[in-house]
Amino acid sequence: MLSRVADSLYWMSRYVERAEHTARVMAVKLESLVEQQPEDARASWARVVEALQDAHWDDLPQDAASITKRLVFDRENESSLLASLGFARDNARQVREALSNEVWGNLNRLYLHLSGVHADAIWVHSPAILFRDVLDEMQALEGVTYSTLSHGEGWYFLELGKYIERVQLLGRVLDVHFRQGGVTPKYFDWLVLLKFCTAFEPYTKLYTASIRPQKIAEFLLFDPEFPHSIRFSIDKMTEALARVAPGAPPARRAAVERLAGRLKASVDFGQIDELMSGGIAVFLSDVTRQCEKIHETLFASYITYGAETVL
Amino acid sequence: MQGEVLANTEDFGGPDPVTGPARAALAGKDAPYARYDLGRAYDEMFAPDGRPRPPYIALDSRLTSLALEELVRRQQACEQSFLHQGITFTVYNDNQATERIIPTDLLPRIVTAGEWERIERGLTQRITALNLFLRDIYGDGRVLKDGIVPREMIYGSKHYRREMRGLPVPHGSYVNICGSDLVRDEAGDFVVLEDNLRVPSGVSYMLANRDVARRAFPGVFRSMNVRPIEHYPLELLATLRALAPFEQDVSIAILTPGVFNSAYFEHAFLARQMGVELVEGRDLLVNDNVVYTRTTSGLKRIDVIYRRIDDDFVDPLIFREDSSLGVSGLFNAYRAGNVVIANALGTGVADDKAIYAYVPRLIRYYLSEEPILDNVETFLCREEKSLGHVLANLDKLVVKAVGESGGYGMLVGPHASQAERDAFAEKLKADPDNYIAQPTIQLSTAPTFVGDGVEARHVDLRPFILTGNETKIVPGALTRVALKRGSLVVNSSQGGGSKDTWVLSR
Repeated sequence: MLSRVADSLYWMSRYVERAEHTARVMAVKLESLVEQQPEDARASWARVVEALQDAHWDDLPQDAASITKRLVFDRENESSLLASLGFARDNARQVREALSNEVWGNLNRLYLHLSGVHADAIWVHSPAILFRDVLDEMQALEGVTYSTLSHGEGWYFLELGKYIERVQLLGRVLDVHFRQGGVTPKYFDWLVLLKFCTAFEPYTKLYTASIRPQKIAEFLLFDPEFPHSIRFSIDKMTEALARVAPGAPPARRAAVERLAGRLKASVDFGQIDELMSGGIAVFLSDVTRQCEKIHETLFASYITYGAETVL
Repeated sequence: MQGEVLANTEDFGGPDPVTGPARAALAGKDAPYARYDLGRAYDEMFAPDGRPRPPYIALDSRLTSLALEELVRRQQACEQSFLHQGITFTVYNDNQATERIIPTDLLPRIVTAGEWERIERGLTQRITALNLFLRDIYGDGRVLKDGIVPREMIYGSKHYRREMRGLPVPHGSYVNICGSDLVRDEAGDFVVLEDNLRVPSGVSYMLANRDVARRAFPGVFRSMNVRPIEHYPLELLATLRALAPFEQDVSIAILTPGVFNSAYFEHAFLARQMGVELVEGRDLLVNDNVVYTRTTSGLKRIDVIYRRIDDDFVDPLIFREDSSLGVSGLFNAYRAGNVVIANALGTGVADDKAIYAYVPRLIRYYLSEEPILDNVETFLCREEKSLGHVLANLDKLVVKAVGESGGYGMLVGPHASQAERDAFAEKLKADPDNYIAQPTIQLSTAPTFVGDGVEARHVDLRPFILTGNETKIVPGALTRVALKRGSLVVNSSQGGGSKDTWVLSR
């Protein structure tokens, strides 16, 4: 597979994942608006903004409409939902020949749909409806990605992008809820956190509906079966790494796989009780740092390597 | 109501369509043709008396039985589908990038089996002569020694590539993909307007338009024995394969300038349809005169490159050094015979406006045959007799500077003032070699759906000619449409659209 194509598939997938996460957080947040007191709502919005945005906002707007506008519709804001979808689509267009009609068509329609929505129009009825619709379309996209592409190298680059991004996104949303200091999340906030990660029902099946932060952390960090847990995502990432660049020189492959193996081990053998007293933030930032290292090594080994190193 | 139901079953496999309407609708009189002008130009659908010509009877009967709203609905469905598929080009305005679809008309343009047979023979003859001509001027130069074409026209052309001299190309085929523009003159005969021998585009629209027309008029399509064109990518692949010096595991790539090029959709489309790699200049590198792509597993050798970038940009070491689209060292790899580039470099020398006028002579010279398809009558001002004729008839002719394109250095005689014509006459006399003249041609008109009816619009015809070890023409073409009423400009950059072309098998 062309290195440039792998590059674009990987980034397309990362942006799709980011867009889906943003859409879900927005849907959940807007649905829960009516349940919160103004003070709690403000703290909760601040967490959402920090979890979704790369840049720090010095001026958090007072009203949900303005925040939504910036998080979703602002094209100047590179972390907005619309910008993420736009980047995903730009990358997809670059590798149009590596995607099926269905994948391109779904992504393109989704982008055209959202970019045609006026930011103020969503407040006429329940604003969350738009994001539920977007999520439906994203799930259709995920479906055709799974079912219409060959599960070869290109598909595994999509998987890599998806799960590396997911680890980062989960890491951030967990961090803003578990870090020490600041406003302590209340019962309702924990409920919302589970929903941000589409984890409410799977969690209750395992731990019943008793909402306990330690159990939530354990579930979202270490559950081996739940797709939006950090451990599950890292497993998938490791699997995908083993399947890309099959013909690359062993030394180059080893560099990437060693890093992934180390990360996997630290998550496989992580213990929640060791982390609860303030260690979660440290653990998360370590995971994030390791992911970044894997990303860099992945690119250096398979994508941006100098031609002189192989001739 | 009953008619409506019947109309719909016809489209989806019900009874065959009525082939002869009880009373033919007349162009210029009846709905939906009330505003259909039959002018001086030949009309594809209607005879001068306003009755549909025989090949269009089935389409006419469908058009007169369909409600206008239904046509509008089908047009919208088509535009929606183009938008979703990403068949768009980007227009930049005030830093705002807007995506527009290439306008497509629902109504097919029909070419009869007899007309096509002549087009096919004529274009095959023409490309054969042009390839022989290119081989000659980059080889012995016999045609120059024999005085058929003046030397300075070749050596003075900016598209002549000295670097190509003495370099053999596979099967002597310099032009592997050609898109010739034909027009129908007032008498109804097809003539060649232009040979595009460099990097012709539009074939993806030929294929996309087929989907549109087939979906809009399935019943008519089925009843007409339209020849298929879907195998074009396969034929293109076979043509490219035939250029490699070996048969097994030929590694082929399409070289695109990238996603910002207006034809990018086509490059990606062809790569997907053929199952070959789509590469940009930055994906390729040359080592020891061998071309490689950078893949995740290491470097992979490339044998044949179908390049969709101009000569000038292919290799910054040899041609334009400011080009970032091409690949350093590509030309030397090509010279060394380690990679084939299609089309060959330097083909542009054979498709400029002055050489065009010589093509009939080239056909006679190389093939000892009479041209099957005529040129548009062209006067070479470098020839004294022609210059006299041009000067005496400036009010009837279009005069073009040979080296220019895009309408620069041009006089449209009938639309110019006497003062402008006098001034131009002086320029002509000062430098006659630089000018050619042609009569203004009325391109034929074809029925085009304009939202509230069917009107006549001018069209041309661009078939695609493939030449590897043999010449093949898929029986179809891109019919370009000047969408503005009365306009003769079919270019997509200037408000042109396109429509499907149905070549009938009998």
